[in-house]
Amino acid sequence: MSFFTKFPAMGRTDLRDFKKGIDGKFKEFSREWGEGIEAFFDPLYYFLNWFEKLLNATPWPIIILIVGALAYLGSRSWKLSVGAMVSFLLIGYLGMWKNTMSTVALISVSTLLCIVLGIPLGIWMSRSDRVQKIITPILDIMQTIPIFVYLLPVVMLLGIGKIPGLIAVCVYAMPPIIRLTNLGLRLVNKDVLEAADSFGANYRQRLFSVQFPLALPNIFAGVNQTIMMALAMVVIASMIGVKGLGMPVLQSIQNQYLALGLMNGLAIVALAIIFDRVSQQYGKRLQRHREGGHDA
Amino acid sequence: MQKSILSAAIVAGALAMSSGANASECGEISMADMNWPSATLMANVDKIILEAGYGCEIEMVGGATTTTFASMDNKGEPDVAAELWINAVREPLFAAMDEGRLHSARSGPITDLGEGWWLPPYTVAAHPELKTVLDILERPDLFPDKEDPSRGAFIGCPAGWGCQLSNQSLFIAFGMEAKGWNLIDPGSQAGLDGTIIKANERGENWFGYYWAPTSMIGKYNLQMMPFGVPFAGAENWDGCVAKGPEACTDPKPSSWTPSEVHTVVTDRFKNVAGPAMGYFDKRIWPGGVMGAMLVYMDSEQADGPDAAAHFMEAHEDLWMQWVPAEIAAKVKAAL
Repeated sequence: MSFFTKFPAMGRTDLRDFKKGIDGKFKEFSREWGEGIEAFFDPLYYFLNWFEKLLNATPWPIIILIVGALAYLGSRSWKLSVGAMVSFLLIGYLGMWKNTMSTVALISVSTLLCIVLGIPLGIWMSRSDRVQKIITPILDIMQTIPIFVYLLPVVMLLGIGKIPGLIAVCVYAMPPIIRLTNLGLRLVNKDVLEAADSFGANYRQRLFSVQFPLALPNIFAGVNQTIMMALAMVVIASMIGVKGLGMPVLQSIQNQYLALGLMNGLAIVALAIIFDRVSQQYGKRLQRHREGGHDA
Repeated sequence: MQKSILSAAIVAGALAMSSGANASECGEISMADMNWPSATLMANVDKIILEAGYGCEIEMVGGATTTTFASMDNKGEPDVAAELWINAVREPLFAAMDEGRLHSARSGPITDLGEGWWLPPYTVAAHPELKTVLDILERPDLFPDKEDPSRGAFIGCPAGWGCQLSNQSLFIAFGMEAKGWNLIDPGSQAGLDGTIIKANERGENWFGYYWAPTSMIGKYNLQMMPFGVPFAGAENWDGCVAKGPEACTDPKPSSWTPSEVHTVVTDRFKNVAGPAMGYFDKRIWPGGVMGAMLVYMDSEQADGPDAAAHFMEAHEDLWMQWVPAEIAAKVKAAL
């Protein structure tokens, strides 16, 4: 009867040995391969470091102008461009310039990495149901697993700092771009594809001239979500020693420094809004441009 | 004579009854389950003994030094902090104790503990010339910072911890910036431990802040380095170093302040759970027992309640001394 009331669990000692075995294996792996894996990420690391130093070494008026120009190029809206410049001026005035530059460097590089890896994965997924079946649960894991569960092994392997931070951000922020690229490509009207085929389009033409442009709204929604989720990870990344706006937030949470926390939190929000509006406007503009082309 | 013995017996009986009544009235107590192993172990052992021996109903509340203290100071919750390192909260704590809102139920509940700057044993063996912190500070080249290899990396205390401010102040006091050091903020305990584990697995040099009693210290046999300067007085430490570089700009070099740990309780606890105050007064963990328990927790991957159960079993001779015989019997029966 006790079989039904008490779950037939693995014995306490066996379970402990099982857990210890896994930990031991991981430590062996880390000793054996840690330096090699670290070296593998070195180019990315040097790029990230270089980019951060560049942002910090550039005189602030130039950065502000670049921010305004990028916002204008993306959105073609003076309001947004001026708004972005004013927020950066405010951030600088409130003494958060250096941390903001570190965060901008990390977010830009990690978003770029997510897009460069995520869009091809999404395309691959859209082409094959079997690939989709394999990748979807992996994306589910990436989005729901408690962050420190994979951060601790990453820290043991790569130490603290920018690269583990980048990995943490990308694990969390990459799924939306993969999912929405896949979804967008799959939602393209079958009749349109048939028409493309009947005109004798080859695979590449069909993908890049027909499917991809039609999937653009979804893909841009994915890019946008990826940026937002990357920014949401700033505080978590600072828990493994990434410099930036997350550090003061962490400090203020533990010490009840309300103003410090609010200021740095709002700076993260300002970055998010600027990135969000500019990328959304850019996506919309691409769409409008194409629609106009059809009408003409 | 006969009469006085009788009255003594009555008084003793009344006392026993009243303490029995108190025990059942102990009621609901909230206890801080601090987020480091020795504190969670102590809190869980306290929970077992207070529940089984004194009839309290204990609710565990997660916490960390400054947050738990702030909550106790402002809201009177949780009622008990078993292992409160008071260096970070000394002034508000003493103010609250003077006003009678908080009480120290036991000073020094663990022996042989402390904070400081540590080196791994192989670094000490390879560089016998590094006798004090002052010697180490001349050699930033031995501890290169990955992000800036021309400078040395000193691993400080995670952002937001009380020790972060003291480390920042000492970094300034010892002129470490000019000597070629960077102060690295590991961001969290996982980050700090990760740097030690990684350095030890690879045999890399490591120089940073840590504290004992911890399983990290026991496991990797880290060596606490003497600072090479005397303790420059409580005024310098409490009034300047502990307040951090924003509040005080000219800290003087000093060795780390001797650590003071207290078991702190609220006034409410003292009133409703009176007899349990006597338990806290006797409850002292020898550093060796604590160290062994921490290595046990680490190697067996035991959490607080598991480790507390193991402790009650393995160190009966120790906890039996903390409580009166009849309570010890009650606790033993409940195990």
